[in-house]
Amino acid sequence: MLSKKDLENLAALARLRIDAKNEKKLIQDLEKILGHFNELKNVDTQNVEPMTGGTAFTNIFREDDAIGGGLDKTSALEQFPEKKDGFLKIPPVFSDKGGFVLDEE
Amino acid sequence: MAHLHDLTLKSFHAGLLRKDFSALEIARDFFDYIDLHDKKIHAYLSLLKDEAVKQASEVDVALAKEGELGFLAGAPLAIKDNMLIDGTQTTAASKILENYTAAYDAAVIGKLKAEKAVFLGKTNLDEFAMGSSTENSAYGATINPYDESRVPGGSSGGSAAAVAANMALAALGSDTGGSVRQPAAFCGVVGLKPTYGAVSRHGLIAMASSLDQIGPITKTVEDAAILFQAIRGKDEFDSTSVNNAYEDILEPPELEKIRKLKIGIPKEYFTNDLESGVAEAVEQAIRNFKSLKIEFKEVSLPHTKYALSVYYIIMPAEVSTNLARFDGIRYARLKEAEKAKNLLEIYLEQKSRGFGAESKRRILLGTFVLSAGYYDAYYGKAQRVRRLIKNDFDSAFKEVDVILAPTTPDAAFKLGEKTADPLQMYLSDIFTIPASLTGLPAISIPVKKYSLADRELPVGFQLIGRPFREKDILDLGQFYEKIGS
Repeated sequence: MLSKKDLENLAALARLRIDAKNEKKLIQDLEKILGHFNELKNVDTQNVEPMTGGTAFTNIFREDDAIGGGLDKTSALEQFPEKKDGFLKIPPVFSDKGGFVLDEE
Repeated sequence: MAHLHDLTLKSFHAGLLRKDFSALEIARDFFDYIDLHDKKIHAYLSLLKDEAVKQASEVDVALAKEGELGFLAGAPLAIKDNMLIDGTQTTAASKILENYTAAYDAAVIGKLKAEKAVFLGKTNLDEFAMGSSTENSAYGATINPYDESRVPGGSSGGSAAAVAANMALAALGSDTGGSVRQPAAFCGVVGLKPTYGAVSRHGLIAMASSLDQIGPITKTVEDAAILFQAIRGKDEFDSTSVNNAYEDILEPPELEKIRKLKIGIPKEYFTNDLESGVAEAVEQAIRNFKSLKIEFKEVSLPHTKYALSVYYIIMPAEVSTNLARFDGIRYARLKEAEKAKNLLEIYLEQKSRGFGAESKRRILLGTFVLSAGYYDAYYGKAQRVRRLIKNDFDSAFKEVDVILAPTTPDAAFKLGEKTADPLQMYLSDIFTIPASLTGLPAISIPVKKYSLADRELPVGFQLIGRPFREKDILDLGQFYEKIGS
């Protein structure tokens, strides 16, 4: 029910590489787990409202103000592996080559 | 150092005020004891000796000056390594965060610092709190203090083992599907999962946001109440957190009042899945409660059997979303990802090399159940059955006030016993998952003086309460502890 191609597609979506040697076992495990879920097909859920979270509260509002001042710039920057001149440094997200290409500099 | 065995949060506080010892002495004793025993048990991932010594000394100075202090002042605690303490390494037991240092305090840590608690160190867990045995840690498994060949449970296995082995006075764990209660049961200590929303999740590394809740792991029920009272409450940084009326939570329980509580026994928890030794132990606990003249009633929670499937759809869906943030751009980057030539390669290197097998499995599972074409059949369906499970509890709570059930189907299993078969591992959560899906408060309490006939292993039972009625289960638990077995 879960093909090698399906797994490759899922891995690509999740930005994961799957070791070829683990592939077979992983497919088996996932199929077994997904197979267990089939029992839910027997449950009548017509007209049942989905439970979408851990709480019944909805629309929690507050003033749109920063609370407690937040992190200062230095410690915020430390949360990122690459920075330059007080800015975060990240590789280009888009490039004219149509994909993810790092600035050579 | 034998006295460490006898200390609870309560007696530590009394001893400190009586000047039987200083906070610094006790902190040092704990570190000595940890040095002796933790090589074997591996409850801790990192120790915070310098900070702890400083915190404890400050408590001693404050006590000399003020003569009085709060319940948790100087109390040496262990913290699960998925909660942030400013300036300290926080790994969530994942290789992906091996280079990460927290830049702020989790809400619970801020509250405990205000109470002048002492943090001994960060404890081991299954990577990102995903597992039932603490074997999924990238830094090696923790073992059960009762039996070296067995697991301490998980995912808060390090916290439970630390308390059980007297390497901390009490600890914090986090519970998503049983991660506080199951290891507490396996290690013979008390574990409380509060009502969803009672404790802020700010600064807890998110696993499944609609289920995660931080809770105390302690030696006694009273200690669980003390620690819970210190960490609960509304927090502006977690919009699902609420302020409920808990003023009376530390008031001594009264027998007259708890006799008015009716306990429900859900027949669906006493099936063939339950090991006979565990069933016997839970029966014993029920007899003890009956000796207090507490009324029991059988109740039915008919959708219980679907809870595991519902959980293992909803949780991975949330996991796949939450773990996406560890992309090598934020938090920390692995050395292996430094050579990546472009953004996509950074993502691929970071995640493929940083996440362990179970994390990858759950990310893939979550990606699957959320993908177009499967969403309704899996995720949508699971959300509806989750509602039915909630409805079951709502109906049961019309007849009874508290529900009593086993915490786990079996006692602590062998190291390596379930690692090859993820579904078998997942099944060890079947009795703790329902209270997680429904957000209800639940506490695991060790059955008194009980160990399985053929093995010296503790067994736990669970009390599940109405939303925000931690008081009911804590009071019942405290009375249970007082009676003879």
